[in-house]
Amino acid sequence: MAHVVLKDLVKTYGSFNAVNHVSLTVNDGEFVALVGPSGCGKTTTLNLVAGLIPITSGEIAIGDRVVNDLDPKDRDIAMVFQNYALYPQKSVYKNLAFPLQMRKLPREEIDRKVKDAARVLDMTHLLERKPRELSGGQQQRVALGRALVRDPAVFLMDEPLSNLDAKLRVQMRSEIKRFHQDLKATIIYVTHDQLEAVTMADRMAVMNGGFLQQYDSPAQVFAHPVNMFVASFIGSPAMSLVPLEATTADGETVLTSAEGWILPLSARNARKVAAATSNKIVLGARHSTIKLHKSAVPGAVPAKTYTVEPTGDITFVQAFMAGAIVNISVPPTVAVAPDAAVWLEFDQERIHLFDGETEMALNAD
Amino acid sequence: MSSAGERAVIARRSRRQVDGWRWAGRIFLVLMLLYTAAPMAWMLLTSIKSGFAAMQMPPQWWPEEPTLASYAKLLDPQNSVGADFLRFFWNSLFVSTMTTILAVIVAVPAAYAFSRFSFPGRKFLFFAVLLRNMFPAVIFLVPLFILMRVLGLVNTHGSLILTYLTFGLPLAIWLLKGFYDNIPIQLEQAARIDGATRFQAFLLIVMPLSVPGIIATAIYSFIAAWNEYIYAYTFLSKNDQLTLPVGIQRFFSENTTDFPGLMAASFLMSVPVVVLFLVLQRYFVRALTEGAVKH
Repeated sequence: MAHVVLKDLVKTYGSFNAVNHVSLTVNDGEFVALVGPSGCGKTTTLNLVAGLIPITSGEIAIGDRVVNDLDPKDRDIAMVFQNYALYPQKSVYKNLAFPLQMRKLPREEIDRKVKDAARVLDMTHLLERKPRELSGGQQQRVALGRALVRDPAVFLMDEPLSNLDAKLRVQMRSEIKRFHQDLKATIIYVTHDQLEAVTMADRMAVMNGGFLQQYDSPAQVFAHPVNMFVASFIGSPAMSLVPLEATTADGETVLTSAEGWILPLSARNARKVAAATSNKIVLGARHSTIKLHKSAVPGAVPAKTYTVEPTGDITFVQAFMAGAIVNISVPPTVAVAPDAAVWLEFDQERIHLFDGETEMALNAD
Repeated sequence: MSSAGERAVIARRSRRQVDGWRWAGRIFLVLMLLYTAAPMAWMLLTSIKSGFAAMQMPPQWWPEEPTLASYAKLLDPQNSVGADFLRFFWNSLFVSTMTTILAVIVAVPAAYAFSRFSFPGRKFLFFAVLLRNMFPAVIFLVPLFILMRVLGLVNTHGSLILTYLTFGLPLAIWLLKGFYDNIPIQLEQAARIDGATRFQAFLLIVMPLSVPGIIATAIYSFIAAWNEYIYAYTFLSKNDQLTLPVGIQRFFSENTTDFPGLMAASFLMSVPVVVLFLVLQRYFVRALTEGAVKH
């Protein structure tokens, strides 16, 4: 196993920057998820690390070796592809043996390693089958097996679960997590599913438009998103973002809406607002931190319910407030009707404030 | 009740319409089959007639005294006609096989490059490849003849092989590119990560998967070269170099035409193509439909 260092990595296609000055370090044995919407540059970044496409500028090091100019085969990596990329003409056994044959290992050793891997992944009985005779989950397992027989320095995984059905995906998610815990493997895992990233990764790198937005533990990213993109991308349902205006009168800072209501801010939040570049402020709040009242209470602001979605153990309510949609969760025992007037109470300790111009999170210090 | 009855009537009527079309289609196909098969049947029948029987009017629909004499004559190397025929047959086989081998050797890497690599002028080149096939063959007859004379290739099989490549290759490249497009690039990427060089990934992973396409391409170039007449007629004048389509012509002469001999030669000429096609047809059909549909 080894650490991976990306330094100021750039990939351009013509005038299009697919990857923009991305720098990050993956520690030895760490599980890092690259996450972001389609076209954010995460798969390109992974392919750059794999050496499948040449980098435009920057540096990639695996272990203590700069691998910029090395062929994929010399980088000591293994990769699991979204479509598994199993060799269709080869049996499962030969699929697993292929990377070992390419490294010219003796026949007995290949046989032993393939059988070990098959045992670990519980597919000894499938060894003589062709990939097309396997289910999606089994194909996925073979792809994982082919990566692990080689005992590589780094595992690269490109959306390995997105071709599976929902139930199997959850199962394989825990298997891959278990696999990481047992092997202490260095894993770089690309996904567009923030839930996969949050549940599996030690650290997640959130990307958008080719730029690295935030690189931190899932808990930190969840609790302290650095900008509005990260805030709205991580968490389901998404964090609600309400554009408001800040005004200060008699030393007290409040947020005002076009509808006329005001939301007083705590001293700490007022300090955050003071750091903004203009008076345009975006209020962010996660569904679980907003309290829903059916009648006016002091400090709560008016809203109108839009949809009510019971999921069994929790009910999600969408409401219109100051022209934005706000997600709120309530216990299933609370009956809420659509198109009803409600009042929302925000927790001053747990709201997020963003600069309306730069879209960056505002800090008190 | 009544609505259910109405629905049944409508269903029956639309079913009858569909059946009508289906029958029209079947009749059309039968007519087409007759149209294409009748000349071949007549060729076979004539080839086993005697020279006199073949000329009779009204024709003998079924030969009264079937004979394999024409075949015996053609396949007998001692006989001068047979010696010529076998020589032409061999010449055709040589030219067609060489054309096929060269077409595959050039088309495989070319198609792979068009499918996988991005290089300046890729689109333009890919369509330029087809340019040659947009004009009738005669247009190139004189220029190519002059070129062959400059190259000193007139009256050699090399001139034919080169010429056949000019129209065989473009189609081979197009056909094979469709094949490579359908092989996911991730397979090669996986192979390269698994320790293969780029070339090994192509050789060990992509090539085996493209065998059906290569076979189809090979059949295609072989048939085209096997049947070609006009260039062979123009470029070759020495008797011992002629290919079959030109050579068979010798059965026509000013005063008499040996029709049974001509038909037997035509039949023997179609044997390699038919055998090739029957053995490999499943690959051929697969190759022609492969590029059409995305999986």
